[in-house]
Amino acid sequence: MKKLLVYLKGSRLQCVLAPLFKMFEAILELFVPLVVAGLIDTGIAASDKNYIIKMCLLLVLLGAVGLAFSVTAQYFAAKASVSFVKRLKHAVFEHIGKFSYTQLDSAGTSTLITRMTGDMDSVQNGLNLTLRLLLRSPFVVIGAMVMAFTVDSKAAITFAVIIPALSVVVFGIMFFCIPLYKKVRFALDKVLCTARESLTGARVIRAFCKEDEQVKEFKERNDALTVIQEYTGRISALMNPITCVIVNIGIAVLIYAGAIRVDAGLLTQGAVVALYNYMSQILVELVKFANLIISITKSVACAGRISAVLETPVENDDGTEKISAESENIVEFRNVSFAYDGAGDYSLENISFTARKGETVGIIGSTGSGKTTLVNLIPAFYRATKGQVLVGGSDVTEIPLEELRAAVSVVPQKAVLFKGTIRKNMLWGKPGATDEEIMKALEAAQAAEFVMQKDGGIDASVEQGGRNFSGGQRQRLTVARALIKKADILILDDSSSALDYATDAAMRKAIAEWQGDTAVFIVSQRTSSIMHADKIIVLDDGCASVGTHEELLKNNAVYREIHLSQFDEEESA
Amino acid sequence: MKKKMNKGTLKKILFYVGRYKVHLFFSIILAALSVAMTLYIPVLAGKAIDLVVGMGRVDFEGMMPCLIGIGILALLTAAAQWIMNTLNNRITFRVVRDIRNAAMKKIQILPLSYIDSKPSGDTVSRIISDADQFADGLLMGFTQLFTGVVTILGTLGFMISINFKISLVVVILTPLSLFVARFIAKRTHSMFMMQAKTRGEQTAFTEEMIGNKKIVDAFSREEKTLEEFDEINERYQKYSLKAIFFSSLTNPSTRFVNSMVYAAVGLTGALAAVSGSITVGGLSCFLSYANQYTKPFNEISGVIAELQNALACAERLFELIEQQPQTPDAENAAVLQNVDGRVEMKNVAFSYSKDKELIKNLNLSVESGNRVAIVGPTGCGKTTLVNLLMRFYDVDEGEISVDGVDINGATRESLRKSYGMVLQDTWLKEGTVKENIAMGKPDATDEEIIAAAKAAHAHSFIKRLPNGYDTVISDEASGLSQGQKQLLCITRVMLCLPPMLILDEATSSIDTRTEIRIQKAFSTMMQGRTSFIVAHRLSTIKNADVILVMKDGNIIEQGSHDELMKKEGFYCELYNSRMDASV
Repeated sequence: MKKLLVYLKGSRLQCVLAPLFKMFEAILELFVPLVVAGLIDTGIAASDKNYIIKMCLLLVLLGAVGLAFSVTAQYFAAKASVSFVKRLKHAVFEHIGKFSYTQLDSAGTSTLITRMTGDMDSVQNGLNLTLRLLLRSPFVVIGAMVMAFTVDSKAAITFAVIIPALSVVVFGIMFFCIPLYKKVRFALDKVLCTARESLTGARVIRAFCKEDEQVKEFKERNDALTVIQEYTGRISALMNPITCVIVNIGIAVLIYAGAIRVDAGLLTQGAVVALYNYMSQILVELVKFANLIISITKSVACAGRISAVLETPVENDDGTEKISAESENIVEFRNVSFAYDGAGDYSLENISFTARKGETVGIIGSTGSGKTTLVNLIPAFYRATKGQVLVGGSDVTEIPLEELRAAVSVVPQKAVLFKGTIRKNMLWGKPGATDEEIMKALEAAQAAEFVMQKDGGIDASVEQGGRNFSGGQRQRLTVARALIKKADILILDDSSSALDYATDAAMRKAIAEWQGDTAVFIVSQRTSSIMHADKIIVLDDGCASVGTHEELLKNNAVYREIHLSQFDEEESA
Repeated sequence: MKKKMNKGTLKKILFYVGRYKVHLFFSIILAALSVAMTLYIPVLAGKAIDLVVGMGRVDFEGMMPCLIGIGILALLTAAAQWIMNTLNNRITFRVVRDIRNAAMKKIQILPLSYIDSKPSGDTVSRIISDADQFADGLLMGFTQLFTGVVTILGTLGFMISINFKISLVVVILTPLSLFVARFIAKRTHSMFMMQAKTRGEQTAFTEEMIGNKKIVDAFSREEKTLEEFDEINERYQKYSLKAIFFSSLTNPSTRFVNSMVYAAVGLTGALAAVSGSITVGGLSCFLSYANQYTKPFNEISGVIAELQNALACAERLFELIEQQPQTPDAENAAVLQNVDGRVEMKNVAFSYSKDKELIKNLNLSVESGNRVAIVGPTGCGKTTLVNLLMRFYDVDEGEISVDGVDINGATRESLRKSYGMVLQDTWLKEGTVKENIAMGKPDATDEEIIAAAKAAHAHSFIKRLPNGYDTVISDEASGLSQGQKQLLCITRVMLCLPPMLILDEATSSIDTRTEIRIQKAFSTMMQGRTSFIVAHRLSTIKNADVILVMKDGNIIEQGSHDELMKKEGFYCELYNSRMDASV
C-alpha cells in the first residue's frame, strides 16, 4: 500500500492544498451559528436593523468565500487524483509488461485487466473523495465541539459525551458491515457464474435437457444473494436512526443544561441557539463521514490489489551475452528439465538436442506431452528448471531479452491478431516493412488470396482479436506476421491445425523456399507436417527421442503409432 | 419516443413492485410518519428555547414536557425509519431477484440464434450489472425521493404555520439551486461521455495487450505498446479531470444558494422578530426548517439522474426478458422414445441470415444404425447440419424426421435425449469432474462413471487430478488442457449412451494416438446406433457407411469411401491432398 504513495509525488502541493482549502471552508461554516447568535442577542434584542442587515450580509459573504475555497479545493483534488492514477496506470502497465510467463499464468490475465480498469477507477474516486472530505468531516465535528466550548464550557460537556457515543455507533456498524459487503460480492459472483454458464454452455445444456436445473440453481443462488443483501441492509439501516436518537437526546440535554446556565445569568438565549445549531451540524457531518468511510474502504481494498501487482518482483533482464553469428548450433538443449510452478512433476525431463542453422526440426507427441512447453523455452518465455538452453552459443538467461526475442519469431498456437489493419499487424513483425515485403510474406503464408479479396487489401481493418477472420485465415496471417520478421529461429506451434491438408502442404512448401539460414521448429500433431524435417523430436510424457522420420519409424514405437494412426500401413510403406 | 419507452418500462417495473404492495403501503405510511416526527422535533426545541428567556426567567416546568417529547419522538422516528428502510430494502432486493429469475428463465428458451449472435458478456452484464444498478436506483428512489418530497411538503407546511411571509422567501429562492444543478449537469454531460468513451478505449487496449502479452513479448513490442497506452492514458486524464472537476461544482454551488436562502431567512426573520411577529424560538426553528427544506432539493437532482440511469438499465433487462422465445413445443407434440434412428431430410433449406443462403434443397436418408460421416471445407455447413439435427435451429423449409416423425412435431427434450453429442467446442459446467460426467445420467453409480471414463481414456488423467473424480473444475479456470476437456465431454456421452450420436470434431484437440484408441471405443459405442460424424481428419471417417461430401451448403457427393475414391471427384481430391504432403 505504502508503495503507491510514491506516485503522489508530482502532486504533493495539490494534495496539501485541497484539504487545506476544504478546511478553510469548514471554518467559515463554523462561524455561521456565531453570526446567528449575534443576530439574535444583539440585533433582535436591541432592535438594531442596521446590525441585522450587516450580519445577514456577513452570512452571504461567508457563503461566497466558502464557495471560492471549495471550488479551489475541488480542482486541486480532481487534478491530484487524476494525475496520480495516470502515473499509477503507467507504472502498472509497464510492470505487467515485465512479468514472466510463469507470473502471468499464476496471476491470470483477467484479474490483471480488472486491476487496470475497475480498481483504478475506484482508487481515483477514493483519492478524490479523501482529499476533499476526509479531513473536513472530523474537522467540522471537532471544530463544532471546540466552538461550543468557547460559547459555554459547562453546557458544552454534552458534546464531549455525544461525540464519542456517535463515533462508536458509526464505526461499529461500519466495521460490522464491511465484511458483509464482501459476502454480498461473493454471492453475486455465484449468480453471475450460473448466468454465464447458461449462455456459454447453451448447446450442451440443451442437448442434455438441463434447462430446468440451471434455472433451479440460479434461483437458489439468487435467493442466497437476496438473503445476505437483506441482512446487510437491515444492519446498515440502523446507522441513521441510532445517530438521530443520540443527537436529539443530546439536544434535549443541551437545552436543559443551557437553560440552567441562562437562569443563573451565565448565558444568553442566542448562545443556546448557537449550541443547538452546532449539534445539528455534527449530525449532518457524521452521516456524510460514515458514507465516505465506506467508499474509501472499498478504494483501499482496490489499491491493495493494485499494489500487490506492483510488488510482484519481476525477473531481472541484465544479461550481457551475445548471440554469436559463428556458432554452428543456433539452438542447443543441454539436459533440460522443466516443471511449471506448483506442479508436482516435470513436464520435460532431461532433454538434449541441437539444431543447426537452416535446419528444420519437427516436434510431435501426444496431447499434453510438452511440445509447446519445449518451444517456449527457446525465447525464454519460461526458464529451464534444470539444465541449459543455448541460443547462438549463449545461455538464454544470459542474453538480453530484447536481443533474444529479436532472434526468434513465433507463431503461437492461439492465432491472435490486433485491432487495426492487416498492414499494422504485419508491421509488428518488421516495423517499416514495404508493401512488397508484406505481400511476399502473405503469399508464403497462403494468405494473399483472401487478403486481396478484402475491401482495402492489406489495409483492410482487423477487429479486436481478429474476430472478423475465420480461424484458418487468422492462422495464416499470424504465420505471415512471423515470416516477415526474418529471424534466425522460426517457431510454428501447431499453426496449421485449422488448415486443410492442401493449404497446409502449400504453406510448408513456401516456408521451405523462404527458409534460407533460418532454423525452423514445427510443432504438429500430424506426421505429414514434419516427416521431412531434418530432425524430429518425439515427446512422450516429457521424455524425448530424436531422429529422422525413417529412423523413428523403425525404432520408436510412439512415433510409429502416431504415424500409423494417420496413414494406412500400405501408404506409409 | 424516449418518454414513451420510459413509460412502458415504468409500467413493467410497477408490475414487479406490485407483488410487494403491502410492503410498499407500510413503507409509505412510515415515511410520512417519520418525516412528520422529524419535523416536529425542531418545533419542540424552538418552544423550549422560547422558555429560556434570560436570567431568572426560565420556565423549567414548561420546558420539561418539550424536552421529554423530543426524546420520545426521536425514539419513535428512529423505529419508523429503521422499519421503513428494512421494508425498502426488502422490496428492492426481491424485485430485482424476481426480475433476474425471469431473465434466467428466458435465457433457457431463447433461440440459439440469439445466443450465438450476442456476445455473452453483454447478456451477462444485463442480468448482473444492469440489475444491480437498477436496484441501487430503485432503492435510492424509495428512500430519498419519497422522503425528500415529503420533507419538502412537510417543512413547507410547518414554515407557513410559523410565518407565511418568510416562507415565501424560502419558496421563491430555493428552486435556484435546482437551476444551478441542472445548468452544471447539462454542461458536464458531454465531458462524461468523452470520459466514458476514452475509458472504453483504454480498457479494450489493456485487454488486448495484457491478454496477448505472450505475442507482445515475442515481437518485443513492450515499449511501443507502452507508448500507445500512454497516449490513451494522457487523453483519459484530460477528460477525466474535466468531468470530475466540473461535476463536482454542483455541490458547492447549490450549497452557496442554500446559504443565501439561509441569510435571507435570517434577515426577514430577524426583522420580523424585531417587529414582534415571530419569537426567537420560532426563528431558530424556522432557520432549521429552511436548512431541511433546501437539502432535498440538492439531493433530488442526483436522485433523478440515478433514477434515469435505473430506468435505462431496467429497459435493457426487459429487452432481454421480452425477447421472442423459440417456438414452444406443440401441446400434442410427439415424445420420441427408444428410437430406431432412421433419420430423413426432405428438401431442407436453411440460412442464418436472409441475405445469405446456405443450405438449399438438402435430401438425405439414413438407415437405422448407419454411420454417417460429413466432410468438406470450412464453412460448407457441416456444423449447421448438426444444429438442424439437434433442433438448435429450425429449418426454414422442408422437414427432418426421426423414425418418420417430423422433429418439429416432437418435443425438443425427447429429441435431444435421443442424441448423444460431443462438440469441438468443449464446455464443462462448474462442479466436480463426477458431476460433469454424470450430466446426462445424474443417478449413475461411481462404478459406471469410472467405467465410462476408462472407455474414453480419461480415467488415467482424472486419477491424477488433486481430488480425483471430486476435483472441482469449471469452463474457464480448470487447469485442464483442451484435449483433457474433450476427453471429459466424450466420457459424458459414453455414460448415457443414447440411441443416436453426433460427434462434431469430437477428437480435434486430442492427439492421434489417443484418438485411435478412442475411435475404438467409439466403434463399440456406435454399434447399432445411428451416428453422425463431422471430422476433417479423413482417416477417422473412412469406415463410415455413408460419407456426405459438403460444399457451399450442398451435399455434392455421397457414398462409401471406396465408391467416392473411384469417382475421382471432390472427395478424392480432398483425400489425396493429404497425400501430397508425403510425396
